[in-house]
Amino acid sequence: MNKKSKMMQSGLALIVALGMLLAGCGAKNEGGATDSKTSPTTKNGKDLAPYEVTMAFFGSEQKDLQAVQDEMNKILKEKINTTVKLTPISISAWQQQTNLMLAGNEKIDLMFTSAGFNYGTQVAKGQLVQLDDLVEKYGSGIKKALEPYQLSAAKINGKSYAIPAVKDMASDYGILMRKDLVDKYKIDLSKIKSINDLDAVFQTIKDNEPNMVPLVAKNPGTGPFYAGYVLYDSLSGGIGVLPDYDNNMKVVNWYETAQYADQLNVLRKWYQSGYLLKDASTSKQDGRELVKNGKAFAYFSNLKPDSDVEASRKSGKEMTVVRLTPAYATTDMITSMMWSVPKNSEDPDRAMMVLNLLYSDKQLYNLFAWGIEGKHYVKKSENVIDYPAGVDITNTGYNFGTPYMFGNQFLSYTWSTGDPDIWKKTDQFNKGAKKSKALGFIFDVEKVKTEMAAVNNVLTEYVVGLETGTLDPAENLPKFIAKLKSAGIDNIISEKQKQLDEWAKTQK
Amino acid sequence: MKTKYSIWQWFVNIILLVIGVFCILPFILLFISSVTDEQSIVRNGYSFFPEAYSLSAYRYLWHDAERIFRAYGITIVITVIGTVVSLIITSLLAYPLSRKDMPMNKFWSFFVFFTMLINGGLVPTYLVYTQLFDFKNTLLALIVPGLLTNAFYVMLMRTFFATSIPAPVIESAKMDGAGEFKTFVQIVLPLSLPILATVGLFQTIHYWNDWFNGMIYVTDSKLFSLQNLLNRILLDIQFLTSSNFAGNQSDSVANIPTETVRMAMAVVGIIPILIAYPFFQKFFVKGLTIGAVKG
Amino acid sequence: MTTIPAGKRIGKYRKYSALFLMMLPGILYIVINNYLPMFGVVIAFKDFNYSKGIFGSDWIGFENFEYLFKTEDALLITRNTILYNVVFIFLNLVIALGVAILLNEVKKRFLSQLYQSVILLPYLISMVIVGYLVFAMLSLETGFVNNTILPMLGIQEISWYSESKYWPYILTLVHIWKSAGYLCVIYLAAIIGIDPEYYEAATIDGASKWQQIKSITIPLIIPVITVMTLLQIGRIFYSDFGLFYQVPLNAGALQSTTNVIDTYVYRALMTLGDVGMSSAAGLYQSFVGFVLVLLSNYIVRKKNSDNALF
Repeated sequence: MNKKSKMMQSGLALIVALGMLLAGCGAKNEGGATDSKTSPTTKNGKDLAPYEVTMAFFGSEQKDLQAVQDEMNKILKEKINTTVKLTPISISAWQQQTNLMLAGNEKIDLMFTSAGFNYGTQVAKGQLVQLDDLVEKYGSGIKKALEPYQLSAAKINGKSYAIPAVKDMASDYGILMRKDLVDKYKIDLSKIKSINDLDAVFQTIKDNEPNMVPLVAKNPGTGPFYAGYVLYDSLSGGIGVLPDYDNNMKVVNWYETAQYADQLNVLRKWYQSGYLLKDASTSKQDGRELVKNGKAFAYFSNLKPDSDVEASRKSGKEMTVVRLTPAYATTDMITSMMWSVPKNSEDPDRAMMVLNLLYSDKQLYNLFAWGIEGKHYVKKSENVIDYPAGVDITNTGYNFGTPYMFGNQFLSYTWSTGDPDIWKKTDQFNKGAKKSKALGFIFDVEKVKTEMAAVNNVLTEYVVGLETGTLDPAENLPKFIAKLKSAGIDNIISEKQKQLDEWAKTQK
Repeated sequence: MKTKYSIWQWFVNIILLVIGVFCILPFILLFISSVTDEQSIVRNGYSFFPEAYSLSAYRYLWHDAERIFRAYGITIVITVIGTVVSLIITSLLAYPLSRKDMPMNKFWSFFVFFTMLINGGLVPTYLVYTQLFDFKNTLLALIVPGLLTNAFYVMLMRTFFATSIPAPVIESAKMDGAGEFKTFVQIVLPLSLPILATVGLFQTIHYWNDWFNGMIYVTDSKLFSLQNLLNRILLDIQFLTSSNFAGNQSDSVANIPTETVRMAMAVVGIIPILIAYPFFQKFFVKGLTIGAVKG
Repeated sequence: MTTIPAGKRIGKYRKYSALFLMMLPGILYIVINNYLPMFGVVIAFKDFNYSKGIFGSDWIGFENFEYLFKTEDALLITRNTILYNVVFIFLNLVIALGVAILLNEVKKRFLSQLYQSVILLPYLISMVIVGYLVFAMLSLETGFVNNTILPMLGIQEISWYSESKYWPYILTLVHIWKSAGYLCVIYLAAIIGIDPEYYEAATIDGASKWQQIKSITIPLIIPVITVMTLLQIGRIFYSDFGLFYQVPLNAGALQSTTNVIDTYVYRALMTLGDVGMSSAAGLYQSFVGFVLVLLSNYIVRKKNSDNALF
């Protein structure tokens, strides 16, 4: 027996030792300096020690990833003696995998970040490096590409932890319709001023095209207005919102507003009139797919310049757009695609240098976004590209389909099917958009996590049903609101209000 | 007597036939959907009798043949190695636990069983495999974490050994001078073919279908297994339909394959297992009795 | 172990040293794979901060658990989880065992193998795909049931995905359909292991098929049945996430009968992504299972200690 217990003891000791090792792993970076660890101040990049910058971002794996990476490294080697390792992670695994990688202290130097993926929490949890000094030092290209208000939209407590990607940074909302049918039934688009003018249009389609649904949701499993017709600043993910992008900075529960009730009534009416899919609440089909296959006529969408051209290309049917709201810039819009430097980076300086090139080096950006010239695209003219012969979207070896993620999209070549002036237009669009009064505010959810967890469940229970018209709002909206209250939504809203007020004070 | 038997046989066969049809119909629907024309699925949904057939889903997969065959290769390697190693470890552990004369066997049984109830969670497990052992982006990460799949099969095999291998058989083997190990290999294992085949089959299915380890330990696409590849796509779609993140983008954030392609991928993932199944069935043999071994 | 110096009680251990040696790889593996990460349960009681590491993060007591109870759905999800599992455990046993016995009776080897392959088919299909297939049956627009079967019977079409009352039956059916084949193979392996001499003797005594099943087959595989049931009791607070999330297509209207602890946690944390809170949920689930298993194992041991797990 003695032997035995001794063996057990030494076994335990082993476990404890290993446990300590683990603890050490997690704590290795404790108090790790947020500012630069090494500061190579030389201007000439070739004098730098070689370093590999690991980049993590969401995307599906690409056949020719290695080849593109090699090409990028040729440029980077030349300029800053750096190489990159591209690590695309599939979107469904993104949150889990990045959480694990950060907890495991694996090396990541540049990481995609988004308000939609808890940017605020990441900062609160100490995952990201503060970037202000680094931008100052190495980010001349970034500062040139972004307006100051855009750069500071990602600031938390006055400090910057992520750099927004340059793309369409504002949005208006409206409806995209099949042009051939609009023409065929002589629908007068100039008469459509609000959603209430659409009934007649949908009725025409329903009467004349029996196999077609007049209106579908853009994204599967959502209502038509979801991300398609939004009248408020969602203040980091909705729930407590700022109606009309102002509301004198008073945060309200969107689901309690009269506007929301009105929208639901309209949707319910449409549903009952047969303008919407009967299965809308459980549909697994993308609205754009349905249009492409001739089953649907129209969908609401967030818009940017040339949205109709893009939609036409995607659905293979010519689409026409009616814009129903003015364009607004909000924090959520600007911070939806960003780049950050995680704590795990062994050389934040170098990470920032690479990032800076993605905002300023046309060749590098286009390599990252579109792949290798001659292999993944061919140049039609200086700035216009197209697929090489025999290559298309289905068999290209490199196309993440997310050009807006890779840095400065204004550096991008345009496709021959698109408008060559699109970036000029987008720039004007960004500059012309009104600014939400809360632009620059980011909500930190940490204090109300418990309530958020309960509210999230209530939302999945009701929102889709109500917003697809399948549930009767007269009966279910009051139930929904009551359940939200019991889940603690008011705590979330007052916390948001508190943080917003504090933020507003610092803006003066 | 003979007719009575036939009636019983008819009864048994008819019931099993009904159950069988119930099980196979959805699979047939799955297969037919994979060869249905995309347009007709969007318009009419899945159907046993589609308007139009098309092989375009398989053609689409064929474009990707290189990647799919590679994934097949990875899957086969991890399945074969994983199943064999797992069977060895499981049976070696289960046998002593099944011996009533073994000192502290209840303690060790609890030691094993306890792991089925409490686990440290994903983050610590991940840390062990990536920090202590450098398993990230290696084939080992796809094999090692699944070796005992929750100790379930150890408990199952232990029970099987304990009940179907009578102690006298083991005793008499030892009388003949056989050591423990020799007894185990020459007497116990041959008597346990059905349970070995069962656990082997389930481990095979487990490794074949495992996508989770691939998802968390592997970012290198060269090491993607078949189900990892398939599940990434399916889960991406599901994520996109339920996250408020995706909706805010003006473009769709992933290349969503068409419905027929998803179905074709499912078919491609299942067929090989079906082909492997008869191999395991060979060991489902009745009459491997104690008498047979002794004689 | 084999080189321990001679001692008084060594004899006994030497006798079993070969057995210990056999166990060694498995035990080592379990220590590394399972016991080592168990330190992680502390995450459930911490405000996990990445820059501080697991052990450096601040203790926050039971705060991470609060969201599991601070909701009016807490009772509902617990009730659903337990009820479904109880029904599943019972039906799984009856149906899988029944089918296994029938399979064992089939005389033609070819047919028996064919049936075995076919009933295992559903187990191989991923739940996401099962979700699609169920939708193919139940969809309002294009579903097979609404468009073909119900009109034939002269029944009005049913909006399956907004009527929660049907789902306990649908989910049970899908679950049995998917997992019975798997359990059936296990029971079949146990039945095949029974010495045929028992049956031969019984047949000579003129025992009917039913009597043989009742007094030979079932008693002899009771240990396997007990183990399987105990193992399932240990996981009574868990549920098959795919079944409850993918198959009802996450339809909100069905939540009163489809929301279980696992789906609640998933929905709660999908946007939060909080490691501490998800650990807390896992710990809560396993703790309840642990207590229940200890209890049921105790009862089993009272009755027949050979059948107990430990």
